[in-house]
Amino acid sequence: MDHNARLYFQISPASGVPIYRQIYDQVKIGIALGKFVAGEFLPSIRDVSKSLEVNPMTVSKAYSSLEKSGIIELVRGQGMRIPVKAEGITMPDRDQERLTLLIKEVINSAQQLSLDEASVVQKLRAIWEEDRHA
Amino acid sequence: MRNIIYLQDVSKGYGRKVVLDGVSLAVPEGMVIGLLGTNGAGKTTLLKCLLGLLKVDAGKASILGEDPWHLSAAVKAGIGYVPQGYRPYPWLQAGRLIEYTASFYPQWNTALAAQLVKDWKLDLSVRVDTLSEGELQKLLIILALGHEPPLLVFDEPVASLDPVARREFLKTILDVVAERPCTVLFSTHITSDLERIADTVAVLRAGTIDFCGGIDVLKESVKRVRLYCPTGVLPDMGQEGVINSYVRGQQAILTVRDYSDARRESLEKTFGALVDVEDLNLEEIFLEMNR
Repeated sequence: MDHNARLYFQISPASGVPIYRQIYDQVKIGIALGKFVAGEFLPSIRDVSKSLEVNPMTVSKAYSSLEKSGIIELVRGQGMRIPVKAEGITMPDRDQERLTLLIKEVINSAQQLSLDEASVVQKLRAIWEEDRHA
Repeated sequence: MRNIIYLQDVSKGYGRKVVLDGVSLAVPEGMVIGLLGTNGAGKTTLLKCLLGLLKVDAGKASILGEDPWHLSAAVKAGIGYVPQGYRPYPWLQAGRLIEYTASFYPQWNTALAAQLVKDWKLDLSVRVDTLSEGELQKLLIILALGHEPPLLVFDEPVASLDPVARREFLKTILDVVAERPCTVLFSTHITSDLERIADTVAVLRAGTIDFCGGIDVLKESVKRVRLYCPTGVLPDMGQEGVINSYVRGQQAILTVRDYSDARRESLEKTFGALVDVEDLNLEEIFLEMNR
């Protein structure tokens, strides 16, 4: 199996988020969005390190924290796999993940516009109300 | 795990100018560590003290278990070093210089050197004195890698390389550390490269190591915090763990070095403020530390 990890992960070393955390989040969100399917194997640490050009220790840290959180499982001699019964992430969790993703986008845009938390929350409430009465 | 590199309270000055003022650093086997510092921070001096090219004024240093000032041939053979601004044997062709260097090392890996020459598209027929800075840098890196030493020391390895060659260099180092046990210490001020290949960063500032630890740890602990106090004016924020602070009326921007959720809560409670936390990348952290 020839994995090109760049199809799986997109790493930005210049981001304030540690690289291991970026991989961690992308696996988690990837499962929620159906990008990774149950029973699928993740590319090996070595493949990820090579194709993303990051230190293998960083990838290994991401994978082991994913394993600790029960998001992926180690299959001896074969690598890391998305559990066949993806127990950790059930449907409601998936929705949670999607929501988190959307909200993160809003927060990023708000920060670029130097809007504070309070005014974003206020706006959200206002629009929510409007929608309900529409 | 044994320490490949160990410095304890090392000091070094030139005349009256103190450059290193009590540097302590321990690098265990297999670590890839980036040494970060501004121009003139003493990165090159530190590396030279470590390699026995300069004698320390005070403190203890050891490299591969030996005192740098009295290194045995065996330990020297285990080090690959790329200095800055070094153009050896200007009259030799690049290829001849590789052969000449190889002749000193019984363990020289001819195939590896040839592969690197090919990957890096180095023209072996060019004389050393006519190589461009970038080409020279590539040649020196090949000379440092050819004998497959367990310790690599690079002084600003990517400074004169173009983006293509820089990536090529990163790949080569990742290959080396993936294939055999190898410890790598390099100085740089290009933080994005450091984030890719290093697992640990040491920040050299004002003659001492200001921070040494995982890049992840640094990124997760140094944060920029914005405070907004709707009910009143914020006081001066120069407290413990604050690297920089800027307070103006109801608003404040703090850079803290020990961020945690507890810290956030305590800020919210103490000042009755709304708190917003911003992640910083290595370059921003470095700038904050040197402000």
